[in-house]
Amino acid sequence: MATDKELSDFLKSVEKRAFKRTAFAVRDDDSALDIVQDAMIRLAEKYADRPAAELPLLFQRILSNATMDWFRRQKVRNAVVHNFSDFEGADDEGDFDILEMLDGAATGLGTESASEAVSRDQILQIIEHEVSDLPARQREAFLLRYWEELDVAETASVMGCSEGSVKTHCSRAVHALAKALKAKGIAP
Amino acid sequence: MINNKQLTDPDGLEARFGVRVAALLGERARATPPDISERLRFAREQALARAKAARRQEQLATAAAPAVVARGRAAVLADRPGWWVKLASAMPLAMLVLGLVAIDRAHDRAQIAAAAEVDAALLSDDLPPAAYTDPGFAEYLKTSGQQ
Repeated sequence: MATDKELSDFLKSVEKRAFKRTAFAVRDDDSALDIVQDAMIRLAEKYADRPAAELPLLFQRILSNATMDWFRRQKVRNAVVHNFSDFEGADDEGDFDILEMLDGAATGLGTESASEAVSRDQILQIIEHEVSDLPARQREAFLLRYWEELDVAETASVMGCSEGSVKTHCSRAVHALAKALKAKGIAP
Repeated sequence: MINNKQLTDPDGLEARFGVRVAALLGERARATPPDISERLRFAREQALARAKAARRQEQLATAAAPAVVARGRAAVLADRPGWWVKLASAMPLAMLVLGLVAIDRAHDRAQIAAAAEVDAALLSDDLPPAAYTDPGFAEYLKTSGQQ
């Protein structure tokens, strides 16, 4: 059973990422805060007796469900269908090479000049914007996999889809991000 | 979890890219505005208060269960029936026994009365009682009864 301190530490460690992830999905900070609070309370009320190790996966699942509930409540069915469907534009990455991006990145974040340091915040904003512009399922898979550091099986469990779908979503998200960032001259 | 093998494997280029982007996102997320941090803190405290309340309720529920059983047992034991109640509950049984005894007595009396009537009839008849023990007389009665 997770103690109060373990639960508190866990929520503290996850709250900002949870807020960002939800804000990406609902595109509204107040709603995102409400959803995160709702998810925290659901976790605390129903799963506080679970071991601390189970909390991350439970919380991600609850947060995803709470976000879906929010969309249902908003009755923006068309937007939900559009955002949460697997319909994505044709893959026109062509001969885009992600290795090229990574090689460029080796020097991109090495030593920063003063001007680079000043513009870093702008770069982070652009990256955040590009992530938020990803199709919902791609973004969900990408954030769960690389930000929340869930493995493929856990991500599939939270998203309610197959592991193959998770890999596909992640791959497409990475390529879309790499392409968008390259177009803006940014190498993460 | 993204492991080192994935990061060094040529097939893990996507994972490397993803981890880098996620790290930058994390950097941005850490710089959350104070008002949002405050609301998140409030949400966390609310959740912890609910967790405490839920645990307390659970503890009370588990502690209350034996007390309820004990109280129920005490309630049963406290309502011992009084003498009058016991006496009243024994009355039907006593009435039944008395009735059976009375019926037995009445039956005995009726049997005695019947026997006395037969004896009186025998004694007052012209035929002596000893005649009934004579086999010839018994045969006479049989044949005369058949005719």
